[in-house]
This record gives sequence, structure tokens and C-alpha cells, in this order.
Amino acid sequence: MQNYFQTLLEQAKQEIGEVEEISSTQLEALRVKYLGKKGALSQGLAQMGKLAAEARKQVGAVANQVKAEVEALLTSAMERAEELALEASLRVPKVDISLPGRLRPQGHCHPVSQTMDDIVDIFIGMGFEVADGPEVELDWYNFEALNFLENHPARDMQDSFYVHPEGFAEDARPMVLRTHTSPVQVRTMQAQPPPLRAIMPGRVYRRDFDITHTPMFHQVEGLFVDANVSMADLKGTLNAFLRAFFGQEVKTRFRASYFPFTEPSAEVDISCVICKGAGCRVCKMSGWLEILGAGMVHPNVLLASGYNPQEVTGFAFGMGVERTAMLRYGIGDLRSLFENDIRFLARF
Amino acid sequence: MKISLKWLSDYVHLPRGLAPEVLAERLTLAGLEVEAITHLAAPLEGVVVAQVASLEKHPNADKLSLTRIDCGEAGPLQVVCGARNFKCGDKVALAKEGALLPNGLRISRARVRGVESCGMLCSPQELGFSEESDGLLLLDAGLKVGQPLAEALELDDVVLELNITPDRQDALCHLGIARDIAALFSVPLRLPEAPFEGKSSVAHPSGVGIDIRAKERCPRYAACVVEGLQVAPSPQWMRRRLEACGIRSINNLVDVTNYVLLEYGQPLHAFDMGKLHAQQMVVRLAQEGEVLATLDGKARVLSSEDLLICDGERPLALAGVMGGKDSEVSADTRSVLLECAVFSPTHIRKTAKRHALQTESSYRFERGVDISQTHAVLRRAAGLLAELGGGRLAGEIFEAYPAPQPLRGVPLRSSKLHQLLGCGVEEGEKERILLALGLKKQGEGVYEIPASRSDLLGEEDLAAEVARIYGYGHIPPSPPRMLRPAQLPDALFWERQARQCLRGMGLSEVVNYSFADPSHLKLLGMGQAPVALQNPLSAEMSVLRTSLFPGLLQNIGRAKRRQAESAALFEVGRSYFPRLEGGRGSLAPAVERRELAGLLWGLRMGKRTWTTATEAYDFYDIKGVVESLLGALKTEGVYFKPLEAACYHPRASASIYIGDKAIGSLGELHPRVAKRMDVPSHVFLFQLEFEKWMPHASWQPRPCASGEHPAVLRDLAVVLPRECSYETVVQLIQKAGAPLLEEVQLFDVYFGKPIPETQKSFAFALRYRSPERTLTDAEATQAHEKIIEEISRVLGGHLRV
Repeated sequence: MQNYFQTLLEQAKQEIGEVEEISSTQLEALRVKYLGKKGALSQGLAQMGKLAAEARKQVGAVANQVKAEVEALLTSAMERAEELALEASLRVPKVDISLPGRLRPQGHCHPVSQTMDDIVDIFIGMGFEVADGPEVELDWYNFEALNFLENHPARDMQDSFYVHPEGFAEDARPMVLRTHTSPVQVRTMQAQPPPLRAIMPGRVYRRDFDITHTPMFHQVEGLFVDANVSMADLKGTLNAFLRAFFGQEVKTRFRASYFPFTEPSAEVDISCVICKGAGCRVCKMSGWLEILGAGMVHPNVLLASGYNPQEVTGFAFGMGVERTAMLRYGIGDLRSLFENDIRFLARF
Repeated sequence: MKISLKWLSDYVHLPRGLAPEVLAERLTLAGLEVEAITHLAAPLEGVVVAQVASLEKHPNADKLSLTRIDCGEAGPLQVVCGARNFKCGDKVALAKEGALLPNGLRISRARVRGVESCGMLCSPQELGFSEESDGLLLLDAGLKVGQPLAEALELDDVVLELNITPDRQDALCHLGIARDIAALFSVPLRLPEAPFEGKSSVAHPSGVGIDIRAKERCPRYAACVVEGLQVAPSPQWMRRRLEACGIRSINNLVDVTNYVLLEYGQPLHAFDMGKLHAQQMVVRLAQEGEVLATLDGKARVLSSEDLLICDGERPLALAGVMGGKDSEVSADTRSVLLECAVFSPTHIRKTAKRHALQTESSYRFERGVDISQTHAVLRRAAGLLAELGGGRLAGEIFEAYPAPQPLRGVPLRSSKLHQLLGCGVEEGEKERILLALGLKKQGEGVYEIPASRSDLLGEEDLAAEVARIYGYGHIPPSPPRMLRPAQLPDALFWERQARQCLRGMGLSEVVNYSFADPSHLKLLGMGQAPVALQNPLSAEMSVLRTSLFPGLLQNIGRAKRRQAESAALFEVGRSYFPRLEGGRGSLAPAVERRELAGLLWGLRMGKRTWTTATEAYDFYDIKGVVESLLGALKTEGVYFKPLEAACYHPRASASIYIGDKAIGSLGELHPRVAKRMDVPSHVFLFQLEFEKWMPHASWQPRPCASGEHPAVLRDLAVVLPRECSYETVVQLIQKAGAPLLEEVQLFDVYFGKPIPETQKSFAFALRYRSPERTLTDAEATQAHEKIIEEISRVLGGHLRV
């Protein structure tokens, strides 16, 4: 009886080993032949009842060992078969990895709004609130409250668009498209008591259209009014902003200037971001770029806004967003910002 | 304004060796912005004054001479010359070896017909002095041999071009700039000499009187008569100075008035005495329609607002703006009446604007001139005329000055200065600066303001003067002060969220002008009248937009003309609607509505790709953009209603609703609009109003999804009446399937055989789930059948088989 199982094992070894290109179906057939319910092993085991108890025990051990060996043979042969089948399945044409993928089209943020966001964020970080006001404005807020006198040459600095009065009340006052964001200063001061710290981003309009002027552009205006606000505060705050925006290495220069709504007034220059101050075409060889207008809020403006100039002082500043964006992104032509050419937009 | 440094040095001693660039920077920092520096002498380097020491014929050429030239160096140089207009001993211009002439010629040692020539004697043409010339430039015998020619001829000037801010009328002349320089460099200021000490009188002894009939328009009118003039070219020094400042030299008479203008900033006018009819200068308003022939040869039709200078009743000049033809000085003029007056700035400005006539004179009068210097100016002009044209002052200066104003005193407390600047300025330095600028100490901390500085009105103006001379650079910056933390306001927060979301979906942001073409707005069916401009740049930009669509449509019009195959754009901005009760009090004239609009046109992937070929955007793309956007900003309760609007194609347009409010719309562009605006067809648009939308958006996360027990998935294909809307069906399914139904997703829409034409088929994927336990098949089936039942009962639909 022992021989039966030994022979069975030899036979199985031979039969499983003989198959060169083993397929899983062939192996399954062999598994049934040897280990199936009616297979050779089962048949042998069925004969064991005839044996004496002692012999049965011995033969049983042999049978179990044979069974385990055949199973192991079949399992490893099966693994080999699967591996061969997988390899066969990999022998297919390759994907052309050189072809472009399916893109997920991405849009682009406009450089002006991107720049405006960044400016706003820096000032929010310094504790400036964001204030808003109308773009279609009363002449009074745009000029008179800001100490621009009627018929003064200072008005030539900002050529305005006037709103047609038709349809408005007889006693409607002159109305303009705001030429700067400064009227929001006045409205904000009228609406809340000092101390006040705010920036005012927005669209502004001047009647000027050539290679370096568009009739609409964007400004960010800033205002800080409190007891004892000084030019030293103005310098510190603007230095902080300009370094945060243009980089820590940027140098600043404050020079005297004139705006009707500030006194003293200043123009603020930064060292040229293109040539680092060495002199180039962009800075007209001066090494400096004009970037901001600023100054101490004129007492007449505080008065017009309902503040008492004996009690508070303040600084104000304003900058053109387009110019800042052009410097930052190296854009040469102002007008390209409003042409909205899709190839231009796709650059950002 | 152009300033000659040579001229300036008449009034201030600039520190020795001060480079013009350094001076320019100091002026710029002090508020007198230098825009350009021009070195006039640069092209004449290497050209010197020389004297002809000997002159003989060239040994090998008949038409050439051989000269020995003394140019101040060790020995005379031998130079061959072709000109014949000079003799031994003449002073000439020698271009030495290495010199570069304005015409580009570089001088080198050469052999001319076998004889060495070390340099070149120059003609005026070769030096760039004239277009053509015959012979050498012969120089004044008095010039020093060896001196650079540019220096000898006062060509070695440096011209600063300054941008003077509108407040600084005092700085519109050399003396004004010199005064600032004196203050900046702590050097004394020397005023020009005015040799004629004429006394003033109210009337001229010879009988010329002054009658100011519009006193508020002309606070001071002074004049004098200069007789015995010889009109002739001005001397070189004056020509050079005027030319350096961009003024063409005419003759000594005209040049003197211009010279004094550039010196004092005071416009003068010279009337030819021989052409005056009456001995009475009258300053009066013009009559409406009165005509004056001005110097530029135009007949000006005047308004009753214009001011005239007349002799008797005859108009002679448009006061402060331009003289008249009738009394113009000429080469035959022998005596002149010099007018030195002050006119009301605002009215000069109006007249100059009305006649579109800005002159050197009106430019200064409209900024205001120094009313106190009238006599000094007249004496200076008369003195120069005497020097240059041999004239003499006839009698005295006569004038009308009805109401002289005392000079104002303005305080400047040191405490105020400290408060504004944030740092202290030494008392002595503060005082030095103010006095150097021409102010006088009136009392403790109070300063008398000179008449030239009408811009200095209050304490802060004086503080600004001290600050700009002291130097803004000397004010130490203080670190930013914290008041209270700030955060982005809601409106900006949501705008940014929306922009980022749309960008992620492939739409690009544009920024369009707020201006619009009214015909475009009309075409788009914007019924309400827009805000119109009184002085637009063009008809196409004559109103403010009431919709963001026209700008976006123009953007794709442009894209198409530039051969783009698609565009996906959006803009965040305002639309403007007149507020007719506005314009009074503080009420703004317009309602400004914050909007978001976008469009899709062309190929879905932006271009033809090998995977998608020619798939184009359709209505469901724009609707998908809007739904995704609203979803991303967690806007609940949005639904769509059919819409008929002029801008949209009637087949595909909808209003976007939340509750009972339309928050926007979307649809396909109406073909009529596309055609009229020259934009491509099949454009899909949307627009949303921020104010109506934002209250329904949220940044909070949505509630948790229900549990982790397994779900049961069932498909449901139903046949429904054709007119039955998707929203109705979904709402019904959700209601009938509650509470186990978790999600309904439409995955197929079918029209056509075998389904009758009046019907359609929808297929939905339904997901049932219980939050508490594993759902049994029977429970799901029960819910599913309830849905089918309701579809049949309420909508008349049935299962598709």
C-alpha cells in the first residue's frame, strides 16, 4: 500500500514536470486526477480500511506526506503558469507616451487684479481696513473736499469725465467719474470717527488716452488718521509695504512734491527693480522709479471730512496698480492690460 | 521749464565742482523735479579759440593756404586751409587733432598735397552753427587764445529741464530756482541790478494815463516808456541764454521782454508807442463778439469775460494772454510802452482755455505772479533795453495799484513742525531755511510771507517748506503702528473665491473699461438709460456699462479676429445705473452693482486636441460652470427658470433663482446680437449679481454624509411627458424616496423611437442608504416602488421597458 502512494507521487512529479508550457487548465486537470474527490489519492485512501490499525497509521502518514507534496508541486506549477500567462498578456503594443495628455484647461487671473490683491493683503496684514466708495462721484468729493480749488491749475493734473446732468434733479451738483480713489478718504472719514486706518482699492478715470495713459485705471489709496500721526509714520509704513511687495533689498526715496490734499506732500521712488539702481531704459537712467504719491492729510480735507485738525493728523498715499503690475511682471505696454488678448492673459 | 546753469550762476555761487547731476538730484528731492539734463557743449570738445600767426600759399596747391596757428600750446601748429576770408592775426576756431565735430567728422593729423596739417580751421557750418556758410568762423578779437570754443562762446552751458508743480509759480523763473538753491546750499542770493531808479506816479507826465475799469481782474497795472531804441540783433550772451531755454532770439527789444520773463517770471508786453492812438491805457472787459487780431495772426472773437488792454477804446491786447497785431513792435520801432501788470489768475485761465491759447504769459498769470516786483522788473527791462538798444527811460514808471494788500503773516510753531514731521528740526535751521526762502520774521514764530509765495497759507505749508529744504531723507522712519487687526471684507472675500473657482474651471479673468457703446447696451436689451458722459472720448465710450456683456463680447470678437479657436472668459466688476435723486447732498449719482459675468465660446478644450477633436461648448457647459461655481461657494436652494431676454437665443436661456429672487441669468447669445456686434455665433454667457447671491453662499463645510453602512444602488428609467422638467422629476423623486434616498443622478436622456414624440425618457442612478443599519433589499425595493408610483400618479410617467 505504501508503494501505491510512492508510485503515485513519482507519477505526479513526472507528469507535472513534463509539461513545458503549463497552462492553468492542464494543471487543474492534473489536480483533479491526483487530488480530486475521485482522484488517485482518494482511491488509495479508500483502500486503507482493509489494513490493520498499525499499518494504517504508517500508510496514512505516507499518504498525507504524498498529498502535501503533490499540492506543493501543483501550487508552484500554478504560480509559474500564472506568471507565464501574465508575461504573455504584456506582449501587447506599447502606449505612445510621446503623445500629449488630456489637459485640464486652467484659467488665468488678470495681472491687475492679482497685483491689487497682493497690495491689499499686505496692508491688511498691517492692520488697514478695506473701504469702498462710488466711482461715479460728486465733483465736491472728488475735488473740493480734497482742497482742489475751482479753476486752479492743479485741476489740470487730473482731466475729468463729467456726468451728463440730463434726467437728474435741477439742483444736482456737478458729477464726475472719480479721478482718484481719494474721495473714498472723505466718505470714510465722514462715516466713522478717528482713529481710522484704511485702504481704498478701485477703478479711477481720467480723460487721457495715449501710449502711457488709459482713460480708466486702478489705484490703491491709503489713509491713517490718529493723534500725532507724522511723516515718520508715513515713511515707516510705506517702507514696510514697498519691501514686502518688491523685496527686502529695495531702496526707497521720499522727495518733496505737491498735491492739493496733502501738505507736506511727497513722491516716493523705489530703486529700479529692473537694473537695481544702476540705470536702465525703464528708469530713464535715473536708477529710481516713481511708485507712490503721499503726504500728510491737508487740514482742509480733515475739516471737510468732519475731523478736527487740532486734534488729529494723518497721512495718505496712493499708487497706480497698473504701473506696479507692469513693473512686477515686466509688461511694456500699458494698453495691453485692457485689450484682454487671450494670448496675453494666458501668460499669467 | 528750462533753466540755464550759467544764467543761474549770476544769482548764486554754486559750490565749486558741484556736478549738474548732483544739483539736479538736490532740486528733485526738494520738489523741483529735474526731468532732463542737457550738456550743450558736448559736441564741441576739442575745438578751441586760435589765432592765425602766419599765412602763406600752399606750395603745391593754388587754392589752399598754409597757416601757422597759435592755439596756446608750446609752438604754433601748421594747418592747411581752403578758405580765404581771413587774414593774419584773426581769431578763428581750431578743431584740434582728435576733435569730433557735430557733423560726425573726427579730426586727425593728415597730409594735404604733401604738407602736414595738424587740425582744421572750422566754418560755422562745420561747427553746427548754421545750415550753410562761406568761409571760416571769425571770432571776436577779444577772445582768449586756447580757450575751449564752447566756453568762449558761452556754449558750455548745462540746461536743466524742470517739472514745476502747479503750486510753485515762484519757481517758474531763474531767480526763483536760484532762491531755492541758495536755501538748499546755504549760499547768498544776489538779485540782478536794476539801474533805473524811476519813481512811480499815478500818471505819466507826458500824458499817458491808466484806467482800470475791471479792478478785480487787474489788481496792478504799471508801465513805462522807453525811447530812442535801435532795434538790432541781441548780443551773443543773450541769444545763447534764450536759446538754451528754448526761446528763439528775435531782436533786442523782444528778447529783453523774454529775458526778463525767464529771469523774474513776470510777463511783460511791449507796445509800439508809434502805433498807439490815445494816451490812455484802459483795462476793460471785452464786449461780447468784439474782435481782436492777435499776434499769431488770428482774429479772435471775444466774450464779455475776456479782459482787454486798450488805448482809449481800441483793443490792443488780450490781457495776460497775447498781444495784438495793431501795436506789435517791429524793426522800425523807436519807442515802446512796457507793460508790467498782474491779472486775476482764474480769469486768465478761463480766457486761455476759451481760446485754446496757452502762452508763456498766460501760463504764469494763471498761476499768479509776484505783485510786489513790478517796479524792479520794469527797471530791469528798461536797463537792459538801454544797454542793448540804446534806449532811455522817458519819465517815470507810472501805474495804477488801487488796493495794495499788506503781506500776510503765518505762524510756524516748532511743536507743530515736530508733530507733522515726527522729528525735531533745530530752531536755527528752521529759521535759516524760512529766511533763505524770502520769508521775514514778523514776531515769535510768525513769518511774513513774500508776495511771490501765494501758496504759503497755513502752518502746514511752512512746515512743508522747512521739510523739503531740510530734506525728507533726514526724517527717520518709525515702524508701522498697530491699531487693530484687519481682515478682508466679505465682498472682497467672495469675489476672490469666485475668481479662483472660475480660474480653476479654465476661465480667464479680463478687466474691461467701464465705458460702453449705448447701441450695444440697447442691442443687449438693457432697458434702463445708462449714466451718460458729458465729454466722452468717443461715441463708443460715451456711457457707463449697465452690463458686463458688451466688454466680454468685444473680447471674443478680438479673439476671433486673431484666429483663436475658443475663449473662456470672465470679469468681476460693476455695472452702473443712474440714481436720479442722486447728485445732491452726499448721495452718489449712480447705483453701482457688483457683478460677475463670463462666457464660453468655441472648442471645449481650448483648441482641437487629438483626443477631443472638435467638441465645442454648448449650453450645458455654461450651465455647468454656473452650477459648479454656486456649488463650490456652497450656495443652497438654486433653481433655474425659463427666460426670454433680448441678449439670449430663445431656445436656450434661463434665470438663476434663489427663493423668489433672480440672482442672475445664463444662455446662448442671440444670433442677432452676434451679427451686429461682429462676434462669433454659439457663445454661451452667464451673469450673476453679487449682492443677491452672497447672502446665500457659505464657507462652512456641508453637513456630514450619512453613515458608513452599505448603500443599495438601483437604476430607474422612466418615460415622461416631453414638457416635464428635470427639476420637477428630481424634486418628486427626492420627496417620494425620502428618507432612504441619498442621491439621484441623471445619467441618460433619450428622445425618439420607440418612445412616442410627446414623451421622453430619463434614466437615473439612485442610491439608498440608512444612517443606522444595513439596508435590506426589501426596504430598498419598497422605497423604489413608492417613487415609481408617485411618478405615475403625479407626472403620468411609467417605467421604461
